[in-house]
Amino acid sequence: MTLDGVVRRAFEEALDPRDVICDEVRCRAYECDGLTGYRVVPELVLLPRDAAQVAAAVRVCAEHAVPFVARGAGTGLSGGALPVADGVVISLARLKRVLEVDPVDRLAVVEPGVTNLEITAAAAPHGLYYAPDPSSQQVCTIGGNVAENSGGAHCLKYGFTTNHVLSCEVVLPDGSLVTLGGDSGEQAGPDLRGVFLGSEGTLGITTKITVRLLRTPESVRTLLADFPSVTAAGDVVSDVVAAGIVPAAVEMMDTLAIEAAEQAVHAGYTLGTPAALVVELDGPEAECDVQFEQVKEICERHGCTRLHIAGSAEERAAIWRGRKAAFAAVGRISPDYFVQDGVVPRTRLAEVLGRIAEMGDEAGLRVANVFHAGDGNLHPLVLYSAAAGETERAEHLSGAIAELCVELGGSLSGEHGIGTDKACSMPKMFGEEDLETMRRVRSAFDPAGICNPGKVLPTPRLCGERPGRYRPHALEEAGVIERL
Amino acid sequence: MSGTTGSTSVRPTDLKAVRDAVLDTAGPIAIAGAGTAADWAGDLDPVDTVLDTTGLTGVITHNPGDMTVAVRAGTPLRALQDELSPHGQHVSFDAARVADGATVGGLVATADAGPAALVFGSLRDLVIGVTIVLADGSVARGGGHVIKNVAGYDLAKVLHGSYGAFGVLAEVVLRLHPVPRASTTIALPCPLEGAGERAARILGGPYEPAALEWVSDDGGRLLVRLEGTRDALPARAERIRELLGPEAADTPDDVWERHAGLVRGSAEGAVLRIGARPSRLPDLLSRLRWRTATAGLGSGAATVELPVDAVVEAHGLVHEAGGTSVLRRRPDGAGLPGWGPPLSALAVLTALKRELDPEGRFGPGRFSPWIQGAP
Repeated sequence: MTLDGVVRRAFEEALDPRDVICDEVRCRAYECDGLTGYRVVPELVLLPRDAAQVAAAVRVCAEHAVPFVARGAGTGLSGGALPVADGVVISLARLKRVLEVDPVDRLAVVEPGVTNLEITAAAAPHGLYYAPDPSSQQVCTIGGNVAENSGGAHCLKYGFTTNHVLSCEVVLPDGSLVTLGGDSGEQAGPDLRGVFLGSEGTLGITTKITVRLLRTPESVRTLLADFPSVTAAGDVVSDVVAAGIVPAAVEMMDTLAIEAAEQAVHAGYTLGTPAALVVELDGPEAECDVQFEQVKEICERHGCTRLHIAGSAEERAAIWRGRKAAFAAVGRISPDYFVQDGVVPRTRLAEVLGRIAEMGDEAGLRVANVFHAGDGNLHPLVLYSAAAGETERAEHLSGAIAELCVELGGSLSGEHGIGTDKACSMPKMFGEEDLETMRRVRSAFDPAGICNPGKVLPTPRLCGERPGRYRPHALEEAGVIERL
Repeated sequence: MSGTTGSTSVRPTDLKAVRDAVLDTAGPIAIAGAGTAADWAGDLDPVDTVLDTTGLTGVITHNPGDMTVAVRAGTPLRALQDELSPHGQHVSFDAARVADGATVGGLVATADAGPAALVFGSLRDLVIGVTIVLADGSVARGGGHVIKNVAGYDLAKVLHGSYGAFGVLAEVVLRLHPVPRASTTIALPCPLEGAGERAARILGGPYEPAALEWVSDDGGRLLVRLEGTRDALPARAERIRELLGPEAADTPDDVWERHAGLVRGSAEGAVLRIGARPSRLPDLLSRLRWRTATAGLGSGAATVELPVDAVVEAHGLVHEAGGTSVLRRRPDGAGLPGWGPPLSALAVLTALKRELDPEGRFGPGRFSPWIQGAP
């Protein structure tokens, strides 16, 4: 225990003393998030009950230069909520009230500990829903979604968390309470709300969020189609887009991912098929019907071997259950696995999948692929056995896949975030002046550097004095972008 | 424009020249685009240099299959749309001054938006990457060329609505959407009172309007734009007409040009841009002394032209209603405040300005009275 009694007492005064956890066994429950490879036991865990207590706790942190890490449900996959040694974890789990649902202005005001799906549940009686739908939506919280700018299967058409949050009440790292954004998309001056969204808990802690709600679409049509190759399935996606159709979702799974999902939830996917596509359209009924026929025709044109159209809400739910279960289900076909998250321009999907297969063969490891095909967001699952001593090889392969995405003109992360996991890879995607500018943005919010330190941006301590030699970005080599 | 009297103009044509222009000059700089919003926000203080971005033109790369385009920031959006149109794609954005030749960078910097914001948001929702030049010559890239991307802080958001006071936008990457196959607009004669209730009925049903605006001309009209497929759209339009009653009728598309004219305002008055909770807009507007008005009853964005002497009061009334306001076009030398009462996160805004432009070189006065002189 390096936090002295004075600091602990200050926290106990700011909160109810019973809400300050210092017992090591209880603190251990907070040692990691969904990325379990990184673990740090925090000195203290704080369980504030409202925004005022969050602000009071952060003021104590500021006064005593104690680093803090905010935590929602701990489902993040990039180590964004990894505690800092000698620091505290501030859990938002008790701020879980839905404060307002306004059906006329189609918005909801919620506290950060409310889960993603609870917002939709509160809105549903009004025929409304909250659009971003990360696969973990039953348990992940809106506060975490704000931190990560979470996406989900339906963000192709509807956008990400940043497109659905109107304002955030935020406790800044000095303990002051401000509102970023407003009741409409119009903002006064720079889009501070937009800067905060997706900042992975490094610019402050949100304590109240106003989200937009959408009207539940009149019609939803979903199909599951098998293809003889990943390339054929990819061509379907290209042709759907070229036809001027913006599907609500387009998801792809390969043989291994289907095998795992079927073992887990028996959703009716075809075992052994090289690729399966889930395509969902929504909107006004007549338009939806016209476009759905076009999609079916495009599937058939590309040699679809089986076309299953969801005939009921139950059948639709089954298709999605198979897709959403895929991550966890991989545990059934492999003792251990890493979940990767990278993005390539959609038109390079077939190419990146070919390269991933080659890299897997070279490493002697299997890679299952589940991805949001519509926006080029891949989730390769690298399968390995820790008991067989494959951990290091698997970790290396997983990292190499993310960096391959950057080489192909994409991004290190589409939705899981940089967090602890990829901070040292950031120089592969951004140059020193880019990163320095981001440091300046961070410093404007957190000059003392106590808010989730060590995340997002590479530091010498984390990554060594030389965080990897800069390699020209593929677009730079192609003359598309220039770096001076 | 008074702030630029006696200043020197530089007109870089590539990124390197932008950086050089910043490094090779000292003192305050005004960043200028096509000049369609030159007097928006706070009055510009005197500057030594005008950095004219209109030489930074052209598409850098357009990937039709990925529906993304990278463009130099001085490109007029209108020209970009013309270039994209053979591919059946466009930037889903229709701010009034696009037709006047406004540049992509200028539209981002002023956080402008048109009726299409109801569905597609403003450019903050459509920009996926930027290259910016800071006051010390730093060149920074944020985002990238893919639509889904959460790596690093979103620098585009810092520049969106920065009115040339935080950095120079040199390059912008945008996501594109398919041009709708069919579009139609239905108009309903309707005074402001009652417009909100009509709008709520449309938004509460399965009609998916692409735009929903009340305009003050012809005694007040509610405009509903629908977009979709050729086969199915007429049926949806029919359902809207049924909902709104016998006075609702199809109207020619030039109604949106008239809408844009109202948003631009006239030379005599002062134009105020307002954002508020949509259902509060009709009541709020009823208390402002506007001459002309447009109100996005689904989006919460309104634009009003006021007599010059009504601006200060209007800023205050909007603030009381929980909204935001920024002054746009106004008569030269009117000496009006660009902004209303300070926003709650003013300390963050000031700190960002201090970090990115510590000497206050870019756009001095734009955030007056919130930020005065060097930050």
